Parts: sequence; C-alpha cells; structure tokens
Amino acid sequence: MLTRRSFVQTVGIGAAAYIGARGRENSLWSVLEPTLEAIEPGIICLSSNENPGGPGKAVLNSIQTAFGPTGARPGRYDNSAGTLTEAIAKQLGVKTENVVLGCGSTQILRTATHVFTAKDKALVGTIPTYEECAGYAEMMGHPVRPVALDKNFKIDLDTFAAAAKAAGLVFYCNPNNPTATYVGARATRDFLAKLAKDSPDTYVLVDEAYYDYVTDPDHDTHIPIALENKHVIVARTFSKAYGMAGLRMGYAVGHAETIKKMRDWDAGSGTSSLNVLAMQAGIAAISQDASFITAERARNREVRDFTMKWFNDRGMKPTDSQANFMFVNIGRPVKEFRDACRAKGVLVARDFPPFEKSHCRISFGTMDEMKKAIAVFEPLLAKKATAAA
Amino acid sequence: MPVSRRGFLRLIGADEESAYSGAFLSARGLEAHLAEAQAQGQAPRPVVPPGVGEIRLSSNENPLGPGKVAMDAILGKFPEAGRYPFNSSPADSALIATIAEQFKVKPENIVLGAGSQEILKSAMRAWVSKTKSLVTALPTFENPTGFAKRYELPVVEVKVDSEMRLDVEGMIAAASKGDCGLLFFNNPNNPTATVHGAKTVTAMVERVRKASPDTVILIDEAYHEYVTDPSYESAIPLALSTPNVFVARTFSKAYGMAGMRIGYAIGMADTVKPLAKLKMPYNVSVFGVAAAIASLKDTQHIADERKRNTEVREFTVKALQDMGAKSAVSQGNFIFTNIGRPAKDFRDACAKQGVSVGRDFPPFEKTHCRISIGTMDEMKKAVEVFRAALKSPSTATAGEKGGR
Repeated sequence: MLTRRSFVQTVGIGAAAYIGARGRENSLWSVLEPTLEAIEPGIICLSSNENPGGPGKAVLNSIQTAFGPTGARPGRYDNSAGTLTEAIAKQLGVKTENVVLGCGSTQILRTATHVFTAKDKALVGTIPTYEECAGYAEMMGHPVRPVALDKNFKIDLDTFAAAAKAAGLVFYCNPNNPTATYVGARATRDFLAKLAKDSPDTYVLVDEAYYDYVTDPDHDTHIPIALENKHVIVARTFSKAYGMAGLRMGYAVGHAETIKKMRDWDAGSGTSSLNVLAMQAGIAAISQDASFITAERARNREVRDFTMKWFNDRGMKPTDSQANFMFVNIGRPVKEFRDACRAKGVLVARDFPPFEKSHCRISFGTMDEMKKAIAVFEPLLAKKATAAA
Repeated sequence: MPVSRRGFLRLIGADEESAYSGAFLSARGLEAHLAEAQAQGQAPRPVVPPGVGEIRLSSNENPLGPGKVAMDAILGKFPEAGRYPFNSSPADSALIATIAEQFKVKPENIVLGAGSQEILKSAMRAWVSKTKSLVTALPTFENPTGFAKRYELPVVEVKVDSEMRLDVEGMIAAASKGDCGLLFFNNPNNPTATVHGAKTVTAMVERVRKASPDTVILIDEAYHEYVTDPSYESAIPLALSTPNVFVARTFSKAYGMAGMRIGYAIGMADTVKPLAKLKMPYNVSVFGVAAAIASLKDTQHIADERKRNTEVREFTVKALQDMGAKSAVSQGNFIFTNIGRPAKDFRDACAKQGVSVGRDFPPFEKTHCRISIGTMDEMKKAVEVFRAALKSPSTATAGEKGGR
C-alpha cells in the first residue's frame, strides 16, 4: 500500500525508521501508525493544515438547508454537481468544460497521476512535497523522479526543469507542502513557459491548495495559463482556507481537452464520489463574499507572524511560510518532539524525510491555540536534544 | 440540534417542490447522467413539470432518509466540518472498526468506498483488462458493464431467466471459460429485484472457483437489508473464508444515505487489498462517517425499515397485479413490473403527474418498468397515477395486454 515508508523508499531517501502518523493517514495497511484514533476534545490539532475555524456560518447554514424541503437530502442521490461546477466556473471566469470536481483534491491528484504518467513517463516532484502523486505512481509501477529543494526549502526551478524533461507529469505544489515556501508568480510563469518549450509533452499539475493563504506580493493564480496550455492543470481544494476538509471537495481547472481526459478516466461517473453536503457547502463557499477568504488570510497571517517570531527569537529558523503551516528547524528528531507534544495534548505533523531529524511541520491553529501550544513547546524545546541533527 | 423524527419527516415530505428531478434516471444511473451534464456544462433537464411536487420512485432510495440517530450524528458534526475525516471524532478508522466488529473481522478485511460505486469501479480496474473479461447479467446494475464498454474491455452479459432471476447456470458457464477476470453477481438483482438463496450462491461460488480459481467474484448486496426470503443469507461469511470472493455493501439503500456516498467491500484481506490500493484517500466525509457509525448501532431502525418496505412493497405489487401488471418476485425496495408497453411511454405519463419511475432496462424496455418503493402515502398516490397511465392504450404493444 501507499505508506509513507514505501514512498520514501521509492524516492531513495533511505528508510525512515518510523513513518509518522497522518499523511496517507487512513491507509488500511499502515500498521506502523498506531495513533490513528480520532482527536479527543480539547486536543489542539496542528498536524493537518486545516482551517481551525471551519467553513464559517454561511456554509454551515447551507449544509443545514440540505435537510430542508427545497434542498438536497442525505437520503437522496443528489444532482448538484452541475450547479457546483457552474458556480466555480462563474467565480473563476471560466467555462464549465474547464472544471472537474473531485472528492477532495486528492481525487484530482490521483486522476492526474493515473492519466499522465506511465511506465515510460515519470512523475517528477520535489523532496519533500505532498506525497499523494508519488504514492499513486509507485503503486502503478510508474517511475518517480525526486528533485531536491534549494537551500531555502523552495522549489529549485532550474533543477526541476532539467528533471522534468520527457517526464509524464510534474507535480508543482506551490506553496509547497510541507515546506510552506512559495515560488512567485512570475518565476512560475517562466518555468511553465520553459517547460512547454523544452518538454512539450510533459503535463504540469500546479497544486494551489494553499493559494488563499499566500501574502507574497508577487502572487497570482496559474489558472489563465492552464486554460491556454493543454499541459498545465491547476488543482484547488475546499479543505484549506475554505475550512471544509471534513466535507471532501476539490477541483481541477484546465483546458477543456485535458479536463475531459481526466473526467474520462473516472469513467463518466466521477461525480458519484461527491456527497450531497459537500456539494451544497461548496456552492455556498465559492459564492460567498470574498471577505471570508480575506479575513481568513489576515487571521492566519497574524497567527503565522506571531508563531514564526516566537521560533525565530529562540534561534529556531522557520522557512518563509506562505501558508497555514510552517516548517521549522527544531534541531532534534521530530518524532521525539511530536510524541512529547502529543502527551501534552498538541498534535504536530508527521515526519518529512529527509528532514525528519531536524524539521517539524506545524499547522497554524487559532491565536489562542497557538499560545497554548507554545506553552507546550517551550519547555520541550528548551531541553537539549537527545539526538540533534 | 437534534432533529425529531417527526420534524425530519416533515422536512423530507413528499410535497416539496423541486425544479429539477432525477426522474428517468436511477440512483446510480442518475450519476452517470450528471457527469455527462457536468461535462457539457448543462444542468440536469427538468422532468417533472415545475411546481408539481415530485414523488421520486426512480432511484431505489429509502424515502425516509437516514434514521434519527444518523441525522443527529450528522448535525452534531458541524463543529468538525473543517477537520479531515482522520481527525474527526469518530474518525474514518472508527467506521472501519465498527464494521469490522459487526462481522468479527479485522480492519484489513474492509475497504471503504465513496459509495459502493467506488468499490465496483476499483474492482473493474483491478481485475478486468483486454484479456480478462467481465461476466455480468442482463439486466443488472449497469455500472461495471458501462465501465467495460467505455474502455472497450471484454464483457459477457448473461440474460436473466424467465422469472427475472440471475441465470446462475449461464453465469457459471461464462465465468468458467478461463478468461473471466471478474464475475459481477448482484443479489438481490437491480433492476429485477429477484434474489437467489444461500445454497445457490454457495454452489455457484464453489463451481466457479473450481473451474476458474483466478476469477474474482463480486457479490453486490446493496439491497441486503430489504430481503425477506428465508432462503437468502448474506455471502459475507462465504467471502471471509473463500479466496477471490468479496461482497459489496452500501449505506445508500436501507440506511438512507444515498447522498452521503459510503459503501464498502468485505472479504479476505488478500482479496480486497487491490481495492484498498486503488481507493481514494479520505473518500468519506466527516458527516458520513459519523452517520454511518450511528446507523450501524441502531439495528432496530433497519428492522423497522425492512418491515415498512415489505408492507408498502406488498401493497404496490398487489395494486399493480390488480391492474394486470405482473411483477417479478421483489426482494428489494423496488419492483420490476410488466406494464405491457414501453417503459418510456409509461414514464413520461407518470412524470407529467409528478411521479418519477425508473429508466429503461434493456432488453425489457418495451415491456417492463422499475418502480422504487416510496412511503405508503406516496405509493397510494402513485398507484392512482399508474392506474391512469395504464388505462390508455399502449402505443407499441396495444392489444397484447388489457388495461386492467
């Protein structure tokens, strides 16, 4: 199965002694992951890059209308996939033929990997990055080509472009999970243009999961490029800033021909994976006033700046976070830190080889949660590391 | 904010107005249509005239939706909408554990799907190829057949017998030729609603296993909870002790959660492992997980739902019989009835009166219609619509069967 362990082995980073909980989190075969219990009340969850505030009242109200007389109902097969597609297309200023829905962007990532990689068409991704695509490629026996990040934990565009030549699919996660770094819009555009020239048959999946959290002034979506260039696809999700991780809804935007390829792979019934509450919520979320996202970005920024300063002040350097999480050098194996935090009711993220001996990914909760979390971190990080990197 | 049963019944009352309906398209057929509509950027076309309250008898759903405990569970999850299903309480692993406990098996015997449709699709991807055929019935649930045809994979469709039951001998023969990758055995069979008893199923499995041990047998028990025939038993114990056999179940039918998209496969760990590999991660929502766990613990609700369905089914079968429309022996929450005319004519006539009935099921689209069982109140109204529709002479088979 697609455990993180086998992924790590595939990409040749060496055997991580223990692959932490929660990534391919609900993997059936992850017997290595004994801590899959649900989060008990009172636990501060900083392990999954969620929006701690959830989807907001308007969206929750819309879910409630799913139980009402004119709404869809949990007992009925629902027909609002088309309506949601239209709402997304309208919001983005594209046509419905440019949009395909997924049960979370995970379905989008899976479909793209299945459609655009092959035995002789590699998947190219950074190390580390979000592991889904590599996991699928590995399962299918398609080659995976890992590319190291630069010294600032950013995508190294030159190395990446070289590795991408003749590849089937490039997974371009920007901001990158777990390192939280962001490549500016201009540099990304140049990269996509160069790739189109150097390796015209290679597809690029630009994962904009954390798009709404970016504060870098050189920020823009790559959807316009995806609409023009058949080989570029943008993935989006409602799981992050929109606060709907529990509902399962994501989508891809691209050229109609490319989107059709992805739809076709799901045998014309890809929408059967979409639950009624998620569709209802998605319509409300995408159509709501833009101030919801603006406010969430501002809230996250404040918490981010507070948390990063705390670590910086203590000599622990985080990367330049442009997301709702940070990747910070805690100078010790993440496992021991994670276990100690967990014992105190704070969950931080899994290992991300090859940095599992030094760097921890910490999601941003609410300000209140972060203050409590820091009170837990402080004594743990003040101690001398037992096996510092 | 618990929803009382009464309040809930009011909420889902049959008098709601819906501009668009899923009429003409069954549950799962509906979804195929929607994907198509989505692909073309079109909304589903209106079928029941605007302003007419729809009685939806086209999708084999539980007309009452989830039970109260499931509804309460859904509403109780609002604070966790932003959490991934593995972080919610209960987590998706708890749903697997609850199912495992029910059958006294281990979590690795179970694979969750976003509806049993994901399970069926994964099964096609895992075991059917250019050289390994699908053996299925005609008519039966079309999803695997549709997949095979779309990808130009070999498929053998074995026509049901004269009593509209799966032709077990024919299916065994087709699956025993050595090139069958997957045998799809829908029991009870959608759309004919007929069922085979445990002895027949066991013997079928034994013979296919002997003739073609590499063939994987998928027994789809979507309508399991509605069966009242005493000769029937679930094939789950058989699957748990027989390699290459597994059962698909769903929460979309008796559990009343078609909109929530949850199903699962159960079988020996090695058998279902390919399905686990192909599954989408986090494929079930926080709400679905909570509702499914709550429902599994509410066994009385399912017993009540079976009883309710049986009563309404008997009423409907008899009413149609009295009009001269004979139904196959139904063991589901739907019936397959010989209306002696093209299903399309009947469907169009019913839709005008606000009643949606099932889609065409070749090769019986000229004579038979699938009608899902709604509430007793809905069926009493629907039966009058049927009566009027069947009174008018049939365009295609007029004279063969009277209007009575």
